[in-house]
Amino acid sequence: MRPFDLLTLMQFCWAFLAIIGFSLRSNLRGSRVLFTGLGGGLCWASYLIILFYSKSMLLSVFLSIIFVCIYSEVVARLLDTPVSVFVICVIIPLVPGRSLYYAMQAYISGNSSLASRLIFDVLMISGTISIAIAMVASATQLVMKIKAPHLTRR
Amino acid sequence: MAEVSIKQCSKLALETGRILLESGAATNRVELMMQKVCSGLGYPECESFVTPTGIFLSISAAGDDLSTSIKRIGHRRIDLGKITDISKVVNCLHDASCNPLPEGKSKSAYLRDELRRIDEQKPYPMWLTNICGAGTSGFFCLLFGGSWSEFGVALIVGFLVATSLKYISRLPVNNFLLNALAAALIVLISKTIDIWVPGIRLDFIIIGGIMILVPGLQIVNAIRDTMSGDLVAGTARGMEAIIVTIGIVAGSGAMLKLWELWS
Repeated sequence: MRPFDLLTLMQFCWAFLAIIGFSLRSNLRGSRVLFTGLGGGLCWASYLIILFYSKSMLLSVFLSIIFVCIYSEVVARLLDTPVSVFVICVIIPLVPGRSLYYAMQAYISGNSSLASRLIFDVLMISGTISIAIAMVASATQLVMKIKAPHLTRR
Repeated sequence: MAEVSIKQCSKLALETGRILLESGAATNRVELMMQKVCSGLGYPECESFVTPTGIFLSISAAGDDLSTSIKRIGHRRIDLGKITDISKVVNCLHDASCNPLPEGKSKSAYLRDELRRIDEQKPYPMWLTNICGAGTSGFFCLLFGGSWSEFGVALIVGFLVATSLKYISRLPVNNFLLNALAAALIVLISKTIDIWVPGIRLDFIIIGGIMILVPGLQIVNAIRDTMSGDLVAGTARGMEAIIVTIGIVAGSGAMLKLWELWS
């Protein structure tokens, strides 16, 4: 598929709606629900677009998580909300539930080489997500300490 | 300038910490918020140590007055609304520029009333959260490549699982068993629907259901705690994420195998 076509837009909408459902289930209120949905959609759409150009899954996961983490740091400060509230919701589309399921299925059908590869995928993706979140969180702390000490309370 | 006794202050701070931790806030955030409550009420010298299952708080005042308390936290859920509300109240308490105090009301009374209001705040009605569970499951099914008929089935599965999760979580079961049961239920319901509705690919439906359960909150909290130096809390949260994941895999895998044996 090509980036920026109708399919990407539809995928964006689905991720948007799914994350809105998720954040309502975790009892988030007000306009923040819309912004978490937007973040989730951006997360998935940027993943697809970067995947198209780079052909590397881990790189696209890394870059899109960094992108949405910066997005949530900005939006959280605008809406006077803890940052982790946004980060928790927006990374959900990239959490490797799919690879996990296929790995489990492969183990059950006795195909352990495929299963090990998929488990490795799961570990690599979750590790990449962790590194990306950690990098953005540390960088923000640093920037905020230098630039605006009075805003570090978020 | 302290307007409340040291015991009352530690009571209020512990209450703040309890609500935050039970709603699933990161531990460094809980520590920060409790310190803000203490310094806002006039006790700037306070030390706190928070783990995901308990709070230790020690407040000292001028003279030899010292109060240490421990609070054990039993069950934890995800409630991002409460985290947001409490952060707002506490930040307001601390900030001189923001002045929400009504006339003739002290800071401690304001904090106590707000905490009670937030603690007793009604969550969204059950039908709405169940529909949201259905939507999440259905749209993740579409996202991972399902067709429209699979979307419909995933909606039903998501609705039923979200409804039964409410009832399962009322039982005294631990986190592992809760997720294992829910994942098994996802597989069971989709396999049952598969009998009557031919031509659907179950993979996408089950993945859509599993995405409701994935431990996103625990992963994020584990990383943020570890990065802020709370190694104990970070490791504990990471372990929780692993346990939840293993629960999901074990539950769905066991159910798939059972179904295979039975049919």
